Amino acid sequence: MEMVFIAAAIIIGMGALATGIGFGILGGKLLEATARQPEMANQLQVKTFIMAGLLDAVPMIGVGIAMYLIFVVAG
Amino acid sequence: MKSRQHRITQVPLARWLAIEFSGLLVISLLWSLHSPLAGYSAFIGGLIFIVPNAWFVHQVYRYQGARHARLMVGNLFRAESTKIALTAVFFAAVFTLMEPVHVPALLFTFAVMVVAGGVLRWLIRPQTRR
Repeated sequence: MEMVFIAAAIIIGMGALATGIGFGILGGKLLEATARQPEMANQLQVKTFIMAGLLDAVPMIGVGIAMYLIFVVAG
Repeated sequence: MKSRQHRITQVPLARWLAIEFSGLLVISLLWSLHSPLAGYSAFIGGLIFIVPNAWFVHQVYRYQGARHARLMVGNLFRAESTKIALTAVFFAAVFTLMEPVHVPALLFTFAVMVVAGGVLRWLIRPQTRR
C-alpha cells in the first residue's frame, strides 16, 4: 500500500521538477528575447504559449495517473 | 494593478473550444459504443482537460507587449501552476465523488485531449497584429 503512495509521489514530484525547470528556461528565454527585440514580444509570447502547451503534456498525464493511484488503487 | 494595454494578439479561444468539444463528443460517442458508462467517463475526462486549459489561456494572454514582459512571464508561471492544481483537484473529485467510473476511458480521453490540445494550438496559432 505504501509503495503506491511512494509511486504517486515520485510521479508528481518528477513531473513538477521537470515542468519547473522547463518553464524556468522558457520564461527566462522569453524575457531575454523580449529585452533584445521588444518589437517581437507578441510573436515570442505566442511561441512561448505553444511550447508551454507541449511542455506540460506529460506531467499532466502523470498527475492523472498519480490521482488514480492515490484514490482508486490505494483507496 | 497596472492598466491593461490594447489587445495586440487575437486569441482564437472560442475556435479552440469548439474544436475541442467536437473532438470530445466524437471520442465520447466512440467510447459509448463500448458502454454508456465509458462514454460518460470519457466526456468527464475531456472536461478535466478543457476547463483548466481554458483558464490557462485566459490567464496567459491577460498581459501583452514588451512593456509588460515581467507580468507576462509571472502570469505564465501562475497560470501553469493553477492549471496543474485544478487538474489534480478535478481528478481527485472524480475518483472520490463519481461512482462507478470507467478509468481507462477517463484517462485515455484525457491523454488524447492533452496531446490534441497541443497540436491544435500549434496548428491554429494566435494571430499577432502589428
